Amino acid sequence: MVETIQIFATCLIDSLFPEVGEAVIEVLSSVGVRVSVPSNQTCCGQPAFNAGYLGPARRMAKYTIEVLEDTVGPVVVPSGSCAAMIREGYLELFSDDTEWLLRAIQLAERTYEFSEFLVDRLCVTDLGASYSGRLAYHPSCHLLRELGVDHQPLALLGAVAGAQIHPLEPVCCGFGGLFAVDQPDISTEILTRKLEQVAASGAEVVVGCDVSCLMHIEGGLRHNGSTVRCAHVAQILAGREAELR
Amino acid sequence: MRERFRQRARKAIADSRLQEALDYHAGRRMAAWDEAFGSLPDVDRHRQRAQDIRQQTIENLDHYLEHFIQNLESNGFHVHTAKDAEEACRLAVDIAQKQGATLVTKSKSMTTEEIRLNHALERVGIRVVETDLGEFIVQLRGEPPGHIVTPAIHLRREDVAETFERELGMPYSTDVEHMNAAAKEALREVFLSADVGVSGVNFGVAENGVLCLVTNEGNGRMVTTLPPVHIAIMGVERLLPTMDDLALLLKLLPRSSTGQKITSYVTLIGGPRRDGDPDGPDERHVILLDNGRLAMATSSLAESLFCIRCGACLNACPVFREIGGHTFESAYPGPIGSVVSPGLFGLDKYGHLARASTLCGVCQEVCPVGIDLPTLLLRVRDSYVQEVRQPLYIRWAMFLYAWLMVSPRRYRWGQRLGAWLSRLLPRRLGWLRWLPPPLSAWTVSRDFPLFASRTFLARHYEHHLGDRPRATPRRTSQKIDLSSHGPGPEDLAERFGRELEDIGGVFIRCHAGEVPQRIASRLNKLGVDKLITWGEQGSITTLIRSLQDERFEVLDPTLPIGTGPDRYARLAELGTADAGLTGAIAGVAETGTLVVPVGRKRSQLASLLVPVHFAILRAKDIYRTMDEWLAAVGEEQLAETACMNLISGPSRTADIEMTLTIGVHGPGMVIVYCID
Repeated sequence: MVETIQIFATCLIDSLFPEVGEAVIEVLSSVGVRVSVPSNQTCCGQPAFNAGYLGPARRMAKYTIEVLEDTVGPVVVPSGSCAAMIREGYLELFSDDTEWLLRAIQLAERTYEFSEFLVDRLCVTDLGASYSGRLAYHPSCHLLRELGVDHQPLALLGAVAGAQIHPLEPVCCGFGGLFAVDQPDISTEILTRKLEQVAASGAEVVVGCDVSCLMHIEGGLRHNGSTVRCAHVAQILAGREAELR
Repeated sequence: MRERFRQRARKAIADSRLQEALDYHAGRRMAAWDEAFGSLPDVDRHRQRAQDIRQQTIENLDHYLEHFIQNLESNGFHVHTAKDAEEACRLAVDIAQKQGATLVTKSKSMTTEEIRLNHALERVGIRVVETDLGEFIVQLRGEPPGHIVTPAIHLRREDVAETFERELGMPYSTDVEHMNAAAKEALREVFLSADVGVSGVNFGVAENGVLCLVTNEGNGRMVTTLPPVHIAIMGVERLLPTMDDLALLLKLLPRSSTGQKITSYVTLIGGPRRDGDPDGPDERHVILLDNGRLAMATSSLAESLFCIRCGACLNACPVFREIGGHTFESAYPGPIGSVVSPGLFGLDKYGHLARASTLCGVCQEVCPVGIDLPTLLLRVRDSYVQEVRQPLYIRWAMFLYAWLMVSPRRYRWGQRLGAWLSRLLPRRLGWLRWLPPPLSAWTVSRDFPLFASRTFLARHYEHHLGDRPRATPRRTSQKIDLSSHGPGPEDLAERFGRELEDIGGVFIRCHAGEVPQRIASRLNKLGVDKLITWGEQGSITTLIRSLQDERFEVLDPTLPIGTGPDRYARLAELGTADAGLTGAIAGVAETGTLVVPVGRKRSQLASLLVPVHFAILRAKDIYRTMDEWLAAVGEEQLAETACMNLISGPSRTADIEMTLTIGVHGPGMVIVYCID
């Protein structure tokens, strides 16, 4: 039976990086699942939640729950922190509201991060992709520590023919949502360390599973005039690295 | 407050010497952490149990506190409760003044930093000397500590050398051993003449009213042994229900904190000096400090009271690594401090600290009691924006943002507006290089991507993606490791010796009959004349006699009761001893730890005040772990003594640039004769 899955693309991918969303669909379609994209999805509310504005965050969480409740099958989120928001953050948001907590739990139980879905749920690692060169892998914090997704992206990248994978240290890139503009000095210092690691790795592309971190790292790389670019794992798996600008 | 914090952060980042010190510290601490936990099998289970214990304690804090106080009192402690900092300081000042004290020695205690006790004592003309090396350095510099475990973390050795040159008249030298020796010399006199000793408490044990202190240098033992009065200041949350719980937490605290399996000294204090004890304070006071903790125990931040102040979250935090402890302007900096400070001292003054986090979660990952710090930080952020007035534009922006996002139509409209506006801004290779304030804080160091001219959703609904040929997916194989074998029977004495030598001790295994001659020859080799020993009792008696026959001078270690000049003169005399000789009532193989009781002619000074400590340990008294010792005989042995020291190797410090130096205030050499 062909399984139907729902893509929750996230507002960043939808608004800033549509090519990542397309790569995600391409990879998932290639392994035989039927991909559906709910057209009325928006943002999970994570930025408001992380900034402590729980009222606005609850409004967006309720909206997202309602949108995804109308769909069937696993929800796949190509971004670690947004998946963590739905799986963990929503439970904290509705800890005092039984009705919504139950609805949040039901959604959380069918929500997966992209690499986790492929490796743990579909038991797929080798997508037949190839890449010649060196890739640095950035383990995003929420992906790693909230979702516990550690080996899955590396398993997928490890099966990419010709690619040399260099895992970066599991240290934050300094993004942290509004933190990046609330504490720009500290954020920049932390980012600088990450960029030094990237440079030392000798990789021409930094891959990860969370476009917010990748946007931060690539923003720093470009600001410094580096030619190194960032890519979502799906872009490498789909062989769409030529789209990196 | 927020602006002030930002400015301080900027200053810290620009301070290249501070940056060097922080980098140096963070790298070495995390390496030590990894190694220490590598030696603890089943880490996750231990941490889960520790979390359960702490949770149970905090949820039933009133109950345990009541038991604890009863047991402290029946052990002869004077117990005081203080609802706030002011009351705690007043209590401590009153005790010191009643004693006519002019000099107070302190071992490191963050609780006393929290209540600013030094300031209160100094205001009434009492001299206060910090004796932990790191604290001593920052006190000389007139600074607060930069870290809850390693106070001088923000300094390089050159800074310390300059301070010692200026304040102690030490010839300028950046040799760490040299600097430690200078501090030791400056503090020796202070230890021997203090009227009151003030310490914190790492754990209080409710079931038997025992205070546990975890230290390395030996200054904590000096401060709680030598002066006639000891005041322990303890936050009410630092309780553990049982000794078993303590044994578990003692596995986690040193590992998390300094990367040690166990610290040089774990001191278990069961009360003041008893009749027939050769030493120990005549009075011990415990000041139990609330200062907001009891209220916090029933709030949404209760989990932060699980904290055992190991400092691991500070060491791992990427933000702390950039800005250090002083930027936080609280006794408790770093991730835990950003929850505890607003929780205890007020949201208005400290609430902004919770924003100084990327929520990366590494703090929770390293926490030995599993505190969910990211969630607690979020809760503080929530209360902060509710209770402390935020700039209008931020509140409006959040409202507008949610309003846009709960309607697909408005969301698309917002995206179009964003795309249109972003095309008006200056670019570089397709990304924006400038954003208007307040978003300009992003573009100081990062370019920002352009909004897509057509969003993902729009593109998806306009065309179908073509299928491209793919290889057949393969399944991951699941590997199960079946290669686990239980350890075979172990020679405990051999293991004890290995562990002791690992931490710089000397281990000699021999027959009982050989001991007198072996010790005598080593004493001669070391040039020892004067010895402090345990009083004559049991098998050690013949040993002492034979050493006296060999013309070694054996000093009577009994201290006069009270504060008279006799006491100080006696201490000064005992301070000249070259070595100490004690027994040990048990050993712990896993950590090379000696269990050395105090009381009933068993002098503490013989294992503390001397440069070399000889100990006799019977192989049959060695237990594999601390839990096994406690279960077999430990709890009874503990009940029989006013103070029990768990000694693991020589006294040590790494307070200057994390450079390990052996032999600070306690013995620099520990030689164990293990007899079969």
